Amino acid sequence: MILSDSAKLQISQTAKRYPKARSAILPALHVAYEEHGYLSDQMYEEIAQVLDVKFIEVAEAASFYTMFPKAKRGKYLIQVCRNISCALLGSHHLTAYLLDKLNVELGEITADGLFTVVEVECLGSCTTAPMMQVNAHYYENLTVEKVDRLIDEFRSRK
Amino acid sequence: METKLLTQFVGDPQQHTIERAIEHGAYQAWQKVLKEIAPAALIQIVKDSGLRGRGGAGFPAGMKWGFVPKDSPKPEYLCCNADESEPGTCKDRVLLEGDPHAVVEGMMIASYAIGCHTAFFYIRGEYDVSQVRMSKAIDAAYAKGFLGKNILGSGYDLDIVVHRGGGAYICGEETALLSSLEGDKGLARLKPPFPAVEGLYNCPTIINNVETLANLPHIVMKGAQWFASLGTEKSKGTRIFSVSGHVKKPGNYELELGYPLKDLVYGLAGGILDDKPLKAIIPGGSSTPLLLPDKIDTKLDFESVAAAGSMLGSGAIIVIHEETCIVWVAEILAHFYMHESCGKCTPCRQGTGWMYEILRRIEAGRGKMEDIDTLLDIADNIEGNTICPLGDAAAVPVISTIKLFRDEYVYHIEHGKCKVQSQFKLRAK
Amino acid sequence: MSDFNITVNGRQIPVIKGQTVLQASLAAGIDIPVFCWHPQLVPVGACRICLVEVEKWPKLQVACATIATDGMIVHTDSPKTIKARQGVLEFILAHHPLDCPTCDKGGECDLQNLTFKYGLDYSRQHEPKHRVIVDSNSTFDDLPIGPEIIRNQNRCIHCYRCTRIVDEIAFEDDLGAYQRGYHTEILPPPGRQIRNLYSGNVVEYCPVGALTNDDWRYKVRVWLTKQTNVICPHCPDGCNMKLWNFHNKLFRATSNANESIDNGFLCDIGRYGYQYVASADRIKRPMVRRAGELVEAGWEEALTLIKKQTDDIKSKLSGSGFFGFIGDIRTNEEIYSFQRFVRRVIGSNNIDHRFHRRRRLTPGEEVSSRGIESDNAEYKDIENADVIVVLGSDLHSENPITSLRVKRAVKRHGARVILLNPLPTPLGKRTATLEVIHRPGMAAVLLHGIIDAMVGSSRFDASALKLTAAEIADFRKANAEFSGSGGAAVAGVDLALISSVAEMLVAAQSVVILTGSYVERDPLRDTLYLAVANLQSFCKSARKIFLPPDSNSVGAAYFGVEPAVLPGRQSWGKKATCEDLWHGPIPDTPGKDTIGILEAIDEDEIECGFVFNADPVRLFPDGEYIRTVMEKLKLLVVVESFMTDTARLADVILPLSTFAEIEGTRINWEKRLQYSRRAIPPLHESKPGCEIIELLADRLGVRFNQPNPGDVYPEMAGFLPVGAPTTYAAVGKDGFLIRGATTDKPGKLADLKFVVPEIDAEYPYVLFVGNADHHRGALTERNETLMKFTSEPFVGISEADATDLAVSDGDLVKVESKYGRVVGKAMILHGLPNKRVLLPENFSEMSVNVLMGRQDKIDLVGLAKM
Repeated sequence: MILSDSAKLQISQTAKRYPKARSAILPALHVAYEEHGYLSDQMYEEIAQVLDVKFIEVAEAASFYTMFPKAKRGKYLIQVCRNISCALLGSHHLTAYLLDKLNVELGEITADGLFTVVEVECLGSCTTAPMMQVNAHYYENLTVEKVDRLIDEFRSRK
Repeated sequence: METKLLTQFVGDPQQHTIERAIEHGAYQAWQKVLKEIAPAALIQIVKDSGLRGRGGAGFPAGMKWGFVPKDSPKPEYLCCNADESEPGTCKDRVLLEGDPHAVVEGMMIASYAIGCHTAFFYIRGEYDVSQVRMSKAIDAAYAKGFLGKNILGSGYDLDIVVHRGGGAYICGEETALLSSLEGDKGLARLKPPFPAVEGLYNCPTIINNVETLANLPHIVMKGAQWFASLGTEKSKGTRIFSVSGHVKKPGNYELELGYPLKDLVYGLAGGILDDKPLKAIIPGGSSTPLLLPDKIDTKLDFESVAAAGSMLGSGAIIVIHEETCIVWVAEILAHFYMHESCGKCTPCRQGTGWMYEILRRIEAGRGKMEDIDTLLDIADNIEGNTICPLGDAAAVPVISTIKLFRDEYVYHIEHGKCKVQSQFKLRAK
Repeated sequence: MSDFNITVNGRQIPVIKGQTVLQASLAAGIDIPVFCWHPQLVPVGACRICLVEVEKWPKLQVACATIATDGMIVHTDSPKTIKARQGVLEFILAHHPLDCPTCDKGGECDLQNLTFKYGLDYSRQHEPKHRVIVDSNSTFDDLPIGPEIIRNQNRCIHCYRCTRIVDEIAFEDDLGAYQRGYHTEILPPPGRQIRNLYSGNVVEYCPVGALTNDDWRYKVRVWLTKQTNVICPHCPDGCNMKLWNFHNKLFRATSNANESIDNGFLCDIGRYGYQYVASADRIKRPMVRRAGELVEAGWEEALTLIKKQTDDIKSKLSGSGFFGFIGDIRTNEEIYSFQRFVRRVIGSNNIDHRFHRRRRLTPGEEVSSRGIESDNAEYKDIENADVIVVLGSDLHSENPITSLRVKRAVKRHGARVILLNPLPTPLGKRTATLEVIHRPGMAAVLLHGIIDAMVGSSRFDASALKLTAAEIADFRKANAEFSGSGGAAVAGVDLALISSVAEMLVAAQSVVILTGSYVERDPLRDTLYLAVANLQSFCKSARKIFLPPDSNSVGAAYFGVEPAVLPGRQSWGKKATCEDLWHGPIPDTPGKDTIGILEAIDEDEIECGFVFNADPVRLFPDGEYIRTVMEKLKLLVVVESFMTDTARLADVILPLSTFAEIEGTRINWEKRLQYSRRAIPPLHESKPGCEIIELLADRLGVRFNQPNPGDVYPEMAGFLPVGAPTTYAAVGKDGFLIRGATTDKPGKLADLKFVVPEIDAEYPYVLFVGNADHHRGALTERNETLMKFTSEPFVGISEADATDLAVSDGDLVKVESKYGRVVGKAMILHGLPNKRVLLPENFSEMSVNVLMGRQDKIDLVGLAKM
């Protein structure tokens, strides 16, 4: 068993709010991701059991969305928007800057296990571009100085 | 200047608490509706107000509600579409974070109008703050008795379920949203049947955008006539415009519909960044055609923008100055549509990828002259032939940029490089 | 018959309300290309190749999902339509690999055909083609995704037919589509394979070569082959197939879609179950026993031997010293001519085709049990039923295509399915609304308990039935001990569950009751039949279908391979007609059935038997007894294709051709007579059954001059009801439904006389016999593909019993009864109730019947770890 009992309880409670338990597949995947930082087949199996749906339904749904990766990421998943409003204000340069600064390739984990940098599409922060989402938080109106400061802060956190 | 109707209180850092929201008038409309206004009358009020959907399609909201079968044996559902993902658009976020109770109240009113007892709030998974604030707002509304069973003794029951998306632009399309809500992949579905007749779990379902719903409390309190007095003849009310890109003061500005684009860009938004000449504006989110500077006098309402050759869309105004390579812009947008295609129908699934790959090759300096016509033909073969509008949307930037800036494409192909370099760097401070 | 017209390409075509533009057009012979559309699947409008122009509509519409409305004007060949079609093809071809030279689908590929017909003849796609690489060292991106199916994702056109077939038709979940956009990939669920019983259909219906099967792979090009329409021999569903052969070698079987029966789907057993025809284990030449050993011989030697020994025995015992057995898998022509041979030439009425009976029926009982027979029913009756009751059947493995029809009823209109079985079966998952597991042997008690609960229900409406109130009251009283909580306890079922079943039946407008092997082989089978008839009387409108065991059991029963009936199931009074037809006498009195025959052999009253493609030594529920008895025979002539347990005891073996090498008719469970054509000539020195019988008859002194099935058919057809086709040519696609008279009201409501069987302390497990995955009967073992799915027998036990026995999956376990033992590898079957064992009967290395005794009403065994 990978998912904790409380995660499973949360999933089954959530399922009760929907007319059909199957609708709770997406919320269940969020619960699993938040608990573990990645998804796995075993978790799909457990979710399917809790919701009494088919394993394949959970597996297919999880594979469709960007927020349920199977790959493990660094402690801080840095998602840089590469879409137009951000790009017009230098977000592609931001990505290059981060990769260079952290000495890592796109999608890989830094040697210290702290960071993974990926590019994503529009995050709905267009008027405060350029920006990045680190785990659940948005960091907006970025400048080189801000980015440097944020990275230092992340590094210093326990 | 702005007309702060929906955004009047978003600047107040406590507005997301129910106490502050109530101080500012929240839930008065809801109580009025429960006490005095029958669903049929409510639908008529919204029809009379002329409120059009604020998601992008601009369909009259009251008319959509009217499509719900009157005597359906199946339960009716309302979905608030908070899957805001159209590039350039961040207006719903303003309301979700800054005045969530307005959205909750809007959902309540819409639910009541169509006879829905379980409403769903579908929010894009990445909008963390919005989701937390809306969830808390809903919980607070329950605590105050505005939601739940026999609300305020009216005999009306309503539950709202918060449902986070998993990261897919396509789930903003109503049929894909329903697929996602049902626990499936977010695949678009054929219409007909239309969601108003056969939607969520095959039951009548209305999907309304966040901003559309936020208008409802105002319409109820101040009346359809009052709402219809704002805006233009066919585009009533206000709308929040997200201005982004090469402007000095990017931001979300709420304006009466019909506001001149020029005043927005050069006035409220402070003019072009670094005072460079304007090259083009995308007026309604990436799925709308570009406008050249000669269209700067266009008024921002549905018909005027359409007449200018584009669409009001999601109201996301992306400003591009002269030192931008348009092919680079097209490539960025093409990548987006390719990444977001659900993959169900052939033209979008294959066509978006193909357009992106050609644009990438042109941008990388290896374009061939025939690529331009190939791109146009691919776009033509996609347009109108797909299950949902994502395909059409993907075709737009390609067709529009080629139509207006063919010379840049030709230059790219002939010289193997950009006519104008886009060297956008992160600001130092 | 139509409701209105629409105009397509200037032509008015009729439309039945609810049809789509595509359906109406196809029916009118107008071709509209399709990829993702399939007549049995819900339209999804994914491929977009069927886009057509509809006047007054702003955009092109997909014909597959556009409901035709009165006055619609459609163009399928306007410039806009053609451009859109070319666009779709171009989009597909943009990343489709140019694999045609090595792709199995070449020559029958929809993409090839449509590109040729509608596509552009140039490419302007200059980007590198997308590849889903399986092995970076190879240019072949083939990935096996199951024991038999190979996927090449590069070729996939994303029509999603495969995942839709698995999900919508089969209700299975072992194939899905993952990710999104053009990265969408078809795969089984993570860590699993596609191996459901219907998996071959995804290969057949894949429009391109993205899904292929190992069976057909690289062996032959489709344009070199010939197709022959045959009827599947493996079960009584009667599916229509095509066999494809090249130079008289069979290469594959595909569906020959019949909407009355199979809707275009085959189960894997039918699809891959032709491979046994070419098995190296075929008996190739006649064999005779010399010095105790069976050795090959010529036909002449074999026939001479038979003649001599037959004459010897006949001089001593006359015709009554002989018997004939024939298997239910043979054609009607062979069955008819066999019983004619035994009766007329051998002079014996000792003839049977049923080997699971444990109790002998007197001729009187034989005749009267005919009163409880299957009702006239067709597949569409199952599809239209409100409630489908499956009693005593693992319907999934016994009747795979009937199971699909049940699933279709569930899918299309929410039919409720009730399973009443002594152990869980695959239909319990995702198809059944209620799965009731009862104590072994208690099915009749359960049925009566259900009846009683129905009568007691507040919604029971006696006026809708053909029973009087007095009859109902009497019946209830007589069966009181099987009702309420007492009856429920005896049956081993929760009373609440019985009530749920009863409520469903009371509310149902139409019910179909299906029974299968657990009823058919039950020692108390006739009691069960009565109980089912009783249940039927208490339903508003119910049909009962006693599913027969094999593909032509109905034919065997119909054409008189039973001791007390004559062809056409005529009574003994019609004997003279047969004697006329066969130009000679047949014995006066009815003969003995299987049990009677075995007893007679044991008492030296019968010394010779002709066993025609039957294996009673393997099947009869008392392995030791049957073997001992059969060994006593002085002359055992076995006509067989393979060395079965019975053949091993033979004195003479004559090699018999298989279903693909003969033509003939078969009758499925619907009582539908269908014609199966010969695909290849007889292999080796085997001969078709009719020819063998003609040779035997001739050698023994009677010439019928009907060596070919086509010669037999006209005479045989004379026993069919009026209106039956009298020649093969007259047997159409839908065959001929044999319909006898049905009674409006069954006879007197039968009381149940019943004793609860005791469980033995020394042998505390109840034995059940079933089919392994991808197996049915004894022939499936000889098909390589089916053996990939399950290659060896198992001993199925529950989790708790496994724990008690300290046994894990794969451990050797000994199964022992007071009669014998078998050994096999344990397999834990989740959901199997405790103290039950399930053994498959499909593998020659495990003879299940050695564990059984013919006097027993229930089979009990003990288990121990080896």
